Amino acid sequence: MSRRDQLLATALECASLAAMAPLSAQDEAREALRTGKYQQAIALLQKVPASDSDWIAAQRDLARAYATIGKYDEAENTARRAAGTKDGVLLWNPLGEILMLRGKREAAESAFVRAERGPDSLMAALNVAVLHYDRGERDRAMKEFDRFIDVYNRTAGANLTSEELEAVATAVEYLGASDPQLFKDALKAYDRAIAEDPANDDAKVRLGELFLSKYNFEEAQKTFGDVLESNPSDPRALLGAARRLEADGQPGADSLLRAALAINPEYVDARTLHAEMLISLEDYAGAQLDIDRALKVNPNAEHTLAVAAGIKFLTHEQAGFETLRARALALDAHDAEFYATLADLAADVRLYRAAADFAKQGVTADAKDWRAWNLLGMNQLRLGQIDEGKKSLETSFTGDPYNVWVKNTLDLLDTYKNYAIVPSEHFRFMIEKDESPILSIYLKDLAEQAYATFSKKYGYVPPPPVRIEVYRSHADFSVRTVGLAGLGALGVSFGTTLAFDSPAAKDAGPFNWGSTVWHELAHTFTLGLTDNRVPRWLSEGLSVYEEHHAFTPGWGFNVSPGFLAAFKAGKLVPVSRMNDGFMHPAYPEQVQFSYYQASLVCELIARDYGEPAIVRMLHAYKDGMTTEQVFQRVLNTDIKAFDKKFDDYVRTRFASVLPSVTAHDTSTGRAASADALERDARAKPNDFGAQLLAGEALAERGDVDRAIPLLERARDIFPEYGGKDSPYALLAPLYEKKGDLRKQADALTKLTSLTETNLPALIELAMVQEKLGDLKAAADALDRAMYINPFDANLHKQLADISRGLGDRQRAIRERAAIVALGPVDKADALYQLAMAQHEAGEDAQARKSVLRALEDAPNYEKAQTLLLELYDARMKDSVRKTP
Amino acid sequence: MSAPTRRVRRCAAFVALLAASSLPAQTHLIIVSGLGGERKYSDEFRALSQSLADAAVKRFAIAKTDVLWFGEDSASKQPYFSGQSTKANVERALTQLATKAGPGDQIVLVLIGHGSGDGENSKISIPGPDLSAADFARLLGQFRSQQLAFIDMTSASGDMLPIVSAPNRVVITATKSSFERNESHFAQFFIDALTKDVADTDKDGRISLLEAFTYATAETKRLYEADSRLQTEHAQLDDAGGKTGVAAPDGRTTGLLARRFFLDGGRVASLAGGASDPQLAGLYKEKFALEDQINQLRGKKSSMTEDAYDDALEALLVQLARKAKSIRELEGRKS
Repeated sequence: MSRRDQLLATALECASLAAMAPLSAQDEAREALRTGKYQQAIALLQKVPASDSDWIAAQRDLARAYATIGKYDEAENTARRAAGTKDGVLLWNPLGEILMLRGKREAAESAFVRAERGPDSLMAALNVAVLHYDRGERDRAMKEFDRFIDVYNRTAGANLTSEELEAVATAVEYLGASDPQLFKDALKAYDRAIAEDPANDDAKVRLGELFLSKYNFEEAQKTFGDVLESNPSDPRALLGAARRLEADGQPGADSLLRAALAINPEYVDARTLHAEMLISLEDYAGAQLDIDRALKVNPNAEHTLAVAAGIKFLTHEQAGFETLRARALALDAHDAEFYATLADLAADVRLYRAAADFAKQGVTADAKDWRAWNLLGMNQLRLGQIDEGKKSLETSFTGDPYNVWVKNTLDLLDTYKNYAIVPSEHFRFMIEKDESPILSIYLKDLAEQAYATFSKKYGYVPPPPVRIEVYRSHADFSVRTVGLAGLGALGVSFGTTLAFDSPAAKDAGPFNWGSTVWHELAHTFTLGLTDNRVPRWLSEGLSVYEEHHAFTPGWGFNVSPGFLAAFKAGKLVPVSRMNDGFMHPAYPEQVQFSYYQASLVCELIARDYGEPAIVRMLHAYKDGMTTEQVFQRVLNTDIKAFDKKFDDYVRTRFASVLPSVTAHDTSTGRAASADALERDARAKPNDFGAQLLAGEALAERGDVDRAIPLLERARDIFPEYGGKDSPYALLAPLYEKKGDLRKQADALTKLTSLTETNLPALIELAMVQEKLGDLKAAADALDRAMYINPFDANLHKQLADISRGLGDRQRAIRERAAIVALGPVDKADALYQLAMAQHEAGEDAQARKSVLRALEDAPNYEKAQTLLLELYDARMKDSVRKTP
Repeated sequence: MSAPTRRVRRCAAFVALLAASSLPAQTHLIIVSGLGGERKYSDEFRALSQSLADAAVKRFAIAKTDVLWFGEDSASKQPYFSGQSTKANVERALTQLATKAGPGDQIVLVLIGHGSGDGENSKISIPGPDLSAADFARLLGQFRSQQLAFIDMTSASGDMLPIVSAPNRVVITATKSSFERNESHFAQFFIDALTKDVADTDKDGRISLLEAFTYATAETKRLYEADSRLQTEHAQLDDAGGKTGVAAPDGRTTGLLARRFFLDGGRVASLAGGASDPQLAGLYKEKFALEDQINQLRGKKSSMTEDAYDDALEALLVQLARKAKSIRELEGRKS
């Protein structure tokens, strides 16, 4: 909500309370206003005759009611009419605020000046100062705000009304830009205003917004909630609560916003926020409709103008952008917030370089715009400019030390001294020093392999080096990504700067760090190739698609009964609106389903148009085309037609299971006896869930022979399901009981090709394959296990031994090096084993180094001494032989 | 005979010559196990104490009469049990030992059980009045010419360290402070290090207190990580008399005394007179000299280039390896 909008509410509220003797009808009207029954209030207030002694007060309330529901013409006319009468001075301030809402600044100023001579003088003076501030007269405005401190100090605020205390608080909040300690005073003044009149909802909304601007979401929510409890139809509180949810990354902002707009369809700030949300969905046409409507109400709404310029920028309409920029800067040449808004919008659609450029223009326009400094710093960090980013954030924090986002990020940056920088050909890895030795062994190879794969496929090479940051604490990763703890993701790609959770990040839960790296690096290429213009859904879809097509099976989100149930229930968004599934999920699982759904879209395109079509699509996005245009141009299809094509694709691909799939809540079924479940399963031979439940129940009862055919039937109905209760997971131990190692291995092989986090299944598979004598398969399974848990020395030892048996000397060396990197207690032995592996691979120079390190710690280690002598003697012999 | 025992005996003979020039010395081990409170803990404390006392005699060749174990009544029928772990019994035993122990002897006092209190009042929970940090500081003060190891493996033991710390004394506590009051797992791993072949990281065939400490801290950490729990115990070691514990002594700048403190130290010293073969003695002398040179070289590592350091190290290690080989051949041992 803009300050002007708030001011209107303040003055109108003030006016209503300044009314003289209460009449019962007006009391009723006021109660209706307070509880959000605006039409009822209007009807009652219209009935107050001009001859009534409370007519002036009634007109103030009436103007307020009209303004609240967006009937600005009626509000303005009401205020004007009353202002021209005796005692009309009470209407000048409300009139000025209504005029401000329409963007009529000059008329508003003269109304405020007239109001300064009446009972609203303090509120009018505040409005004048805000006007000066908004048109770039910062010094003058600050002096005017400063006077409010004197007003307060004269009597320590004792003789001020709630509305006057609120005006003081607002003035002090402005002063906080120069002295951040004053934010505390602003807080106190708001608290006093609310204590003076607990029904002063305007003060509460402003307080909530102050909390919101300092990222104190919890207090903001409490404050907005307090207002909405008494008036669930307060559009400003609804907007504040929507902003809180949006800023906090919580769902539900759109429904609150819809509620606010239902009450006041002409609410400029709400329209503007709605446009911003559409921009984050890359729905620029929809956003433009909102902006047009908002600017029609108030052609001088600065934030709306900035968003309008943002749309032009993002849709590559340079001329339109320049026109809007000129229009905004004509209102306030020092409007850093204009640039800050552009920076925010650009960053929302991953245009971090543009965001940093805009933010830089913002701090140039106003060096005290701490939000612009914050945005500059954050985007510099996203671009990998760590030192510059830190400096910008420090500047922001000096000016506004209450911003928890900035504070968290600076605290995180202070820990960077505990990280090692490990280079490879195309990358710079930042890994915590303790785990850098072990992770870099795998990470370097994996990242370079991804680089080679993607640069070939997409024909694009990112500017070197790509920076990859690995965080041992999920909270640190979360702060790096969004400035606050609690992010649900495991990795993020800002383009050529990536961050992700280390496999040691216990607070992240078990996950496959290898697939996460693969996924995020795919973003680096799809974002880079398109100049960051690829829509979110396609970038995510391609990243999951690339996981599915990586060098190792099982990576990436896969199909689940829940996904198919959502498809059947029509709860998946069509391809033409896929960004909604990511940005504004309608139910908790929708984001995860959207990842998989988007990957299926890519599968379908690759199948029917070939993989090169995907690359052509990316190029089309780079050229600035919309999704509709891209589908038409590259795939020669209408996007709506493609929606239908995709629907058919899913129905065909999962035809065997779709008829019987449910949300897979088997808890009810589990209560039934195994025999009853078996009868049910036999009666419904094509019902996946029935087969699974019966098989599981019989297996639990130890009835292996009856369980197996049912589970095999379930497997045949839904062969792509690899969840924890997949038929493969249930069949493997049954085959083991039957002594059929081959079938056990096959089940585990299939299971681990459908899921990426089942570590026990991979370990078991390795063990079974070893028993079957298939050492290569065993080694492959253990190899994949390392991407889930690289910290288990026993797994490394097992893989080293198997690799040695296979004659895979390089992998044996890698695994022995991994054991050394884990910092074992018996370091000397680990180094000796590494030296032996290197010696066996003919790498005697490396073996010498390793054995020297072993003996450095344990000079009397007999086995290492023997190897040292062997290496030394061979070298001497060789040197003698080579001597002429 | 089990493999571990065979190995230790071989090593005992091997290191006998190392200390040939030292005065004969003995190790005296006093184990104090406290009240369990619950059957589970009583059993655990008894098993740990029993295991340590067994190893002292069988692996480290400490005389049975030099191993004293004071514990709960429930342990009274166990071998090595020397009486209830009351304050009076422990005080009496330590006072008697102070008059009996010779100069240069090693006194190793091990506490196993539940700890409580803080600062000087840090205590081990025992039958009757508890023994506090101040009590232990006073009792250990009686040993002026002996080398001491005070190993407190009770929970909340961290505050004992600054009170008991003194020059020529190794002090180990299972926790960093008295605030770490949860059940401690350090004792189990420390005793594993002394009783199993798992902690000889410098491959000299012996387990120093530093090696046991390093093994136990690593395994404790691993246990918490494997269980995805926050670690609630952080063992400390001080052997410089500085009253400040170190969590990860490296044996070079910290943990120097603990690195040279072996439970078999006294027994080895008493065997010193067994070295009678002049050729063997000469080889050992040369070997020790090489070890000294290697130690000195390691001290210069940071001032040398990597290649120069490795070349110099290799030259010394090759000589050392050849010397060790000759010794093994003379002793009739196979590589």
